Amino acid sequence: MIQLFHLTKVHASGVQVLDNAFFSVPAGAFMVVAGENRAGKSTLLKLLAGEDKPTSGTVRIDQKDIYSLSSRDKQKWLSEVGFIFPDLKLFADKTVEENILFPLRVRGSFAEDQKIPVAKLLERAGLQAQAAHKPSDLSSGELKMAIALRAMVFKPRLLLADDPFLGMDPKSALTLWRLFAELHKSGTTVLISLQRTQDLAAAGETLREISLTMVQLQDGKLTPIEGIA
Amino acid sequence: MNRLAQFFYVVQEGFRQMIRAKGLSAAVIVTVAAALFQLSIFLGVDRVLDRALSSAQESFEMVVFLAPSAQPADVQRVQSLLTADSRVAAVKVITKDEALQDFRKDPDIDQMVQALGENPLPDSFNVTLKKEAADNVGDLIAQLKQDPQVDEVNYGQGQVETVSKLTQAVRCVGLFLGGFIFLAALFIISNTLTLSLWARRDDLAMMARLGAPSWMRWGPYVWEGFLQGFSGALLVCVLLELIHRSSSALLQAFGGFSELLDLPTQDWVSLYLTLGFLGAALGALGAFLALRKKWVREIQ
Repeated sequence: MIQLFHLTKVHASGVQVLDNAFFSVPAGAFMVVAGENRAGKSTLLKLLAGEDKPTSGTVRIDQKDIYSLSSRDKQKWLSEVGFIFPDLKLFADKTVEENILFPLRVRGSFAEDQKIPVAKLLERAGLQAQAAHKPSDLSSGELKMAIALRAMVFKPRLLLADDPFLGMDPKSALTLWRLFAELHKSGTTVLISLQRTQDLAAAGETLREISLTMVQLQDGKLTPIEGIA
Repeated sequence: MNRLAQFFYVVQEGFRQMIRAKGLSAAVIVTVAAALFQLSIFLGVDRVLDRALSSAQESFEMVVFLAPSAQPADVQRVQSLLTADSRVAAVKVITKDEALQDFRKDPDIDQMVQALGENPLPDSFNVTLKKEAADNVGDLIAQLKQDPQVDEVNYGQGQVETVSKLTQAVRCVGLFLGGFIFLAALFIISNTLTLSLWARRDDLAMMARLGAPSWMRWGPYVWEGFLQGFSGALLVCVLLELIHRSSSALLQAFGGFSELLDLPTQDWVSLYLTLGFLGAALGALGAFLALRKKWVREIQ
């Protein structure tokens, strides 16, 4: 379970994006955080990942303060999280397949053992033709999809996705929603931030199969939105 | 989690990085090769001088000249004194007649002796000393010089000391220059790898966020440094082996270097192994120093 305790974040510029936020994300939840541009969604996800520090308050993962973790425990925590962040790009010198294999390899899998599952995943995402290509050969939507696949391939405990559908066509967005739903079914807690709630429409029937929780981030406060799913 | 698979990844990435950055890798390899070649030259000179010193000590001889008035009894007495000494390996008596015979082999000296009409040479002893006693015969020489029938004692200790001092001087200069060259090579390697790290700083930071443990992030760079250093050493070994095999005449022409050719095969193998170890250590240490830089530690 992820718990936010009185989380406040004021940027160096003086802009306050979180104001005494108090919230819980149960293990295995599928949550969407909606908010306008500059509402603080990305900051919230970075705080949850332990990549940014709050001005006050804290985040606890299974009762452990994420900001007090030893470097070893923090590394362990990071190894259980899948990130889809705009600044987390693909390795330019590796092919799409190698990029997606990367999280598996650093977690102790031989590339040869994972090539078939990864090929299947690429096929489902419509990227099989780009498997041997370098990221520079991909379109913006394909890049987004490849980054999402890399975050999901090792079945993380928590998936943090910051506006993952931005720049994607509706068909790819639907595919990604389905992949998120499947990952969620396998036990992963999924937390997605969305600027455009229209992206939810791209999910179609997919979201009906899961119990979706949606919260609104506005003026630094997190407010649950009822009756979305 | 399979450690072997992770280790395999580090090894593979190290190779890939080395091949990908061909220019930087070539710079490191040439730097290591230059440093090790310089070291090999010093080792060669040191080896030659070492053998010269050893050879000088082995043939350390003392010549004891008796007074012209010495009688056979005096010859016997001095011979007994010498043979009784534990530091003496062998004593050979050269009578004045034998010495003269030897002298007269030279036609000019023969003419001089004929003009003199008598044998001016005294009886003498060629004394071969034991190797370990070469530096410790001062009291024996003093004892001999006190004998009224001993005219002169010549010994080659000065030569041994000269070679010994020369060897020490070459070692000191070699150590100083070798150390300096090694530090310079280390500096160049470390900075070259720092450039490589700087070029991949975003990837390094990203690897941590993708769950790569610390050792898997720095491992490929240390392995890359190790490989580059070892490749530099390999280059020097090939070069030395070529010189060894094809330039025998050249080495013999340069005084003393023929000693190198007489080295047994195992000494060459041992030299190559030492160079290989030093090269790999130099490369890995350079990479380690690059990784210890503050900004690198921060992005890791």
